[in-house]
Amino acid sequence: MADVNWEKPKNPEKPKRRERLKFISAGVVILVSVLYLLVSGTLQGARYFITVADLLEDPSYLERTVRISGAVIGESIDYDSEQAIIRFEIVNIPSQYDDLASALHQAVQDPLAARLQVLVEDAAIPDLLQHEAQAILTGALQRDGVFQATELLLKCPSRFEESTAPEGLSQIPEHL
Amino acid sequence: MLAEIGLAALALAFLLTIYATFASLAGARAHAARWRESGRRAALLTFPALLLAAGMLIIALMTEQYQLTYVYEVTDPRTPPFYRFTALWGSQRGSLLFWSLLLSAFTFGAISLNWRSERRLMPYAIACMMATLAFFLGMSLILENPFERWWISADGQAVARALIPAGATAPTEASLRAGAEGLNPLLRHFGMAIHPPMLYLGFVGFTIPFAFALAALASGDLSSGWLRVTRRWSLIAWIFLSIGLILGGRWAYDVLGWGGYWGWDPVENAAFLPWLMGTAFIHSAMIQEKRGMLKLWNMFLVIATFSAVMFGAFATRSGVIDSVHSFARSEVGFPMLAFWAAMTLIALGALLWRWNRGELRDEQQFANFLSRESMFVLNNVVFVALFIAIFWGSFALPIASELFLGKEVTIGPETFEFYVVPLFIAMYILMGVAPLSAWGRMSAARLGGALKLPLMLSLLSIAALILIGTNAAVASFGYGVVLFAGFVALYEIYRGAGARRRSLGESPLRALAALFGRNQRRYGGYIVHLGVTVIGIGVIGSTVFQTEVQHTLARGETVAVGAYALRYDEFTRAQAVDGRMMSISDVTVLRDGAEIARIRPRVDEFPQMPMTIAGAHSTLENDFYVLLISGGRERATFRIYINPLVNLVWWGGILLIIGTAIAAYPKVLPERPQRKREAS
Repeated sequence: MADVNWEKPKNPEKPKRRERLKFISAGVVILVSVLYLLVSGTLQGARYFITVADLLEDPSYLERTVRISGAVIGESIDYDSEQAIIRFEIVNIPSQYDDLASALHQAVQDPLAARLQVLVEDAAIPDLLQHEAQAILTGALQRDGVFQATELLLKCPSRFEESTAPEGLSQIPEHL
Repeated sequence: MLAEIGLAALALAFLLTIYATFASLAGARAHAARWRESGRRAALLTFPALLLAAGMLIIALMTEQYQLTYVYEVTDPRTPPFYRFTALWGSQRGSLLFWSLLLSAFTFGAISLNWRSERRLMPYAIACMMATLAFFLGMSLILENPFERWWISADGQAVARALIPAGATAPTEASLRAGAEGLNPLLRHFGMAIHPPMLYLGFVGFTIPFAFALAALASGDLSSGWLRVTRRWSLIAWIFLSIGLILGGRWAYDVLGWGGYWGWDPVENAAFLPWLMGTAFIHSAMIQEKRGMLKLWNMFLVIATFSAVMFGAFATRSGVIDSVHSFARSEVGFPMLAFWAAMTLIALGALLWRWNRGELRDEQQFANFLSRESMFVLNNVVFVALFIAIFWGSFALPIASELFLGKEVTIGPETFEFYVVPLFIAMYILMGVAPLSAWGRMSAARLGGALKLPLMLSLLSIAALILIGTNAAVASFGYGVVLFAGFVALYEIYRGAGARRRSLGESPLRALAALFGRNQRRYGGYIVHLGVTVIGIGVIGSTVFQTEVQHTLARGETVAVGAYALRYDEFTRAQAVDGRMMSISDVTVLRDGAEIARIRPRVDEFPQMPMTIAGAHSTLENDFYVLLISGGRERATFRIYINPLVNLVWWGGILLIIGTAIAAYPKVLPERPQRKREAS
């Protein structure tokens, strides 16, 4: 273990008024700077995280940068490797759900769920872009009805996902 | 049988933790040595019990016991043995058991090393460690049992239970093998074999300093003992957390195929937050040791670091925050939130109580604005500001907006960069100025004199960068600031060794070795600063000067990218030993017309998803990083990145770890310097 120099105070020194003023000024400058960073950064960079349905229902979101989440329709995925453009469709998933996998599955099965075309430019096609993946996109809905995304994130398939009952086991009781 | 033994060991460990908590508390309160000793033994026994439980799960994973739902979820018959073993931490339930095992191992180490030296603190510390372990084991037993098995109930339904339900039978092995899901392909990387254990060692390790801090508050023994032991354990936890963070970055760089290593994702940030608080504590603890100041603040930092660990565990395992890392909305969320809140409130309550009694008063006051202690306080302010900014963007803003506005508001990586870049600049400047300042008093003239040489070298570096054609002013300034911190660290080492050479007549190498041997913490710290400098250079180079292009090439065709060229040579399909098909492209990297490397970017086809595996030609200067986007025998599309200086991020990380190891290494023999005169 390291040796410790525990120095008991001999003559506790009180800071002079000028020094104290310096500490207070530095504290105020730092506090104001950090607050400025947080407030101005948040005002510039904040965007609503909404559902596909919210985006399509509220015209005030048109051409505004927002973050949306939806379930990917696998058959709609089209990648132009020459131009590095990804096109695909997502469907609305509710903002509240108990189990993501079930929410994604139900969303892609629902013919009445709100759908949205997505375009991502100058991007490599992500491995996780597949049917029933959850796409989290940042971008803006354009007047032509296409959501132009500047950022595309996809949820990894279930690292900490709960186990679901395997269908094969319950369906073949005679094997037991 | 494996599951029964594992379950019994888990239950035994849980009972031992409960007993150890109460026995230790009773022993401490009643000054009863027998109870204290009994609590200590029970706490020590949790480690072998959990070793047995984890051992059973590992055997089940290795021997393909698919009836265990955990084995069924994270492996399949084609999973190689190496990934069968690492699957122990591949999903929620296994990782919770692994967390508990590591916590019991840390507790075992703390008791073995500190029982004699910290007799007054130990019973309280054991109670705190055991209460934390009891919580995790309780979750494993009740909510996330790793020994749960598949059963076919009397009505033919598959059910998951730890104990056999009435009338149920076990499924056949063939049907289990056919349905087993296999490990997430993203986790099949060597980095993922080491990254989670390192990260967990860091997280779990911070429980020990917290336990000693709480023990000091509970016992009233607020002398230097708790700080000495806490600082050492904090350094150990800090090394592991640093390794975990660096390996996480490396894994993202190698596996996720976006040419980057840090995305400001909430899960990454959750691991970074305790690191920031821990770093602040490691620095401010020195002020308390040297000057008897910041007692309240240091205690607060230790509590805040543990609290950040627990909050991170809650946020990332509960599914409350959307992250690219997948976390199902799990039942562990609410208990974790409750435990985090309870532990934080108890600790803060005890802290306020002791402070109110005047037991945490500083022995000295800050007398000079330019003194080293003032610089350390400023350094703490920067780390806390970084913590607040990252916590705000990752958690507070999304949660608060959802609660108060009814809509979630988030920020992206660019806003995080806006927050943190000025704060990192301040951190590097302080890393340069603080070591040159003196404890107690420092005049502006003396500090200015000491700063002259490193400042001049930094300005010369900026000028040299501009002369060699670095056209990004921001990057040149950034390099100047980062190098300033590095020059000061080198200057201090040079000055220290030079002083020994002059006064003791030692050879340069001996002087250097003696310098590090005599003051490990100080000079180990300078190596850490050098590591952070090297990381800073790598981060600036790889973010400001990154090149990213995409090209489709015919076989035999060459394309120029920066100073390099890429030639597409061949395309093959092959099958790996575990059965996955691979699309492999052979490409040649050229520079000035000469072939310098042959790399093989490929795509592996796992049943769950394809995996793009980058091919890279790595040098200290840069990484030529190539992804195969789509391929065929005649034409293939590649995404090409040139990441300048990116390897310095990893090398800087290694330097940081070496420096911390030097600083934390136990001092065995205090060396007595031999005067030159005496020697002669």
